[in-house]
Amino acid sequence: MGLVQRRQYNGLLFVAPAVIFFLIFFFYPIIIGFGLSLTDFTLLKPPVWVGLQNYQDLLNDRLFLKSLNVTIGFVLGSTVPVWFISLAMAVLFFQRFPGRELMKVLFFTPLLPSVVVVSVIWKLLLHPSGILSSVIGPIVGQMPIKWLFDLQLSPIMSVVVHDWHIAPFYMIIWLSGLTAIPPELRDAARVDGANALQSFLRVELPLLKPTAVFVAAISTIRAFQGFSIQFVMSPSQGGPLDVNTTLGIVIWKYGFQFFRMGDAAAISVVLFAFILIFTLFQLRLGRSDDFSLS
Amino acid sequence: MASIKAYESDWAFEARLRRRIRNLILVSVALLISLLFFFPVYLMFSSSFKAEGEIFAIPMHWIPHEFQGFRQYEFAFEETRIERWYVNSLLIAAVQTIATVFFGALAGYGFAKYRFPGRNILFLFILSIMTVPFQILVIPMFVLVNQLGWHNSYEGIIMPGLISAFGVFMMRQFAYNIPDELLDAARIDGASEFSIFWRIALPMLKPAAASLAIITFLFSWNNFLWPLVIAQNRDLVTLPVGLTYFSQSLDREPLWAVAMAVSTMATIPVILLFVFFQRYFIEGMMVSGIKG
Repeated sequence: MGLVQRRQYNGLLFVAPAVIFFLIFFFYPIIIGFGLSLTDFTLLKPPVWVGLQNYQDLLNDRLFLKSLNVTIGFVLGSTVPVWFISLAMAVLFFQRFPGRELMKVLFFTPLLPSVVVVSVIWKLLLHPSGILSSVIGPIVGQMPIKWLFDLQLSPIMSVVVHDWHIAPFYMIIWLSGLTAIPPELRDAARVDGANALQSFLRVELPLLKPTAVFVAAISTIRAFQGFSIQFVMSPSQGGPLDVNTTLGIVIWKYGFQFFRMGDAAAISVVLFAFILIFTLFQLRLGRSDDFSLS
Repeated sequence: MASIKAYESDWAFEARLRRRIRNLILVSVALLISLLFFFPVYLMFSSSFKAEGEIFAIPMHWIPHEFQGFRQYEFAFEETRIERWYVNSLLIAAVQTIATVFFGALAGYGFAKYRFPGRNILFLFILSIMTVPFQILVIPMFVLVNQLGWHNSYEGIIMPGLISAFGVFMMRQFAYNIPDELLDAARIDGASEFSIFWRIALPMLKPAAASLAIITFLFSWNNFLWPLVIAQNRDLVTLPVGLTYFSQSLDREPLWAVAMAVSTMATIPVILLFVFFQRYFIEGMMVSGIKG
């Protein structure tokens, strides 16, 4: 074996720590996760093999079925609206006007507090005696408004809080997509007599497709994992009456409140299947090297 | 001639006017929306200086009427174990950040600059990790950490986030750009493979490492689910978990001004990172698609 070829084996030493780490902290848990989903396991006694029973039980599990509904509602609410809000804001901040940088920073601030802090702030805002109740209450003629205790309003508020928190993040991504479009294309369209809207729809929007795929995919994948806002903000972790109980919250409840690890593992597998669909969609539509790394 | 000039100045005037109107509209729309988005953050900050009794004042007090100075912050230290939460969060974030950057650079460099058997399959393995969110792993990870005897320990909180697949991926992309001639020149001078990495490659990866460090820190600092399930011991509670317990007490209304003081303190490190490293901060978030 040549010296140069032998040298290449050093690469193995460089990647070994990471690879060994992921074998222990990724590969092994994935395997035991699938394994556990086929057992009854309460942490106290060794797991008992039950085959596909856990999955079958899920079909009649009221809380699980409810959480599927809740999760799909949350996914719809925290994807489509936030795409349009963040795109509109990106187009706005792409224009030149006085004070733009300052306003961009103000708009960006919701991203800085952690999701837990965000949830606590909004718990205060949405308190029955809070500011939003006292301002909007008189308009709709109902005082106080119990935003978080109302079966219809409460899940909507989870969406509002999520979108408020995350919109600046997608705005930044759209903005970098807009900045990457060569200005000559825009100018050419304008010379040909297109107005601002036409130039946006015909020139910029098609060129934003990779950005759109990226935003659509990561926002959907994130939304399926909805957990923290519902856990911290809604009454009794996912309430009232489980209207905020997402798949993530069910996994937590079954796993760490009821210690039904087998059921929790089976729900994790189901959640994984959902997320995998959207990951494949992203890989299919957008190449992974679409985002700039320079 | 005079009429042409008048026409020209009319035209210039109209253009200026149109520009002014356009600016006015843009500024008012942007200002309105920005303030709407900024308001809750402002409320957090201002409420932390209010007296408990004026939190729910109607109409709202934009500026605290009974300005408390840092009284609520002092209360936070008396009412909660925030100093412990803070130290825990900082310690965990620091260890995970340093390890993620170092091992990410190490493995990324290995994947980018060496051709060893199994390289592609191992890299594919790393890539596949990025498609699996942690929530799916939380149950088996809990079982594994218990098997390792790390329940209720710093190892248990820290270890699963010690290295990130994204970190390896990101560093590999950047390590590609390091010119081979530079590495070969060092080899001719007799440098060992590791010292080439340490002395030549690592310094060149600094900008990428800065972005990776910031997003890793944010991710760890904001991480909630894992510390929530693994740290049952109150000495191990991190800031997000502690704040959750504090704001969810069932028997009484939480002390809101204190909760806002804790929230503000929890956000200060992030604000500092944003102010001083804005470029790396935003670049890191965009490249990763991760928002802590």
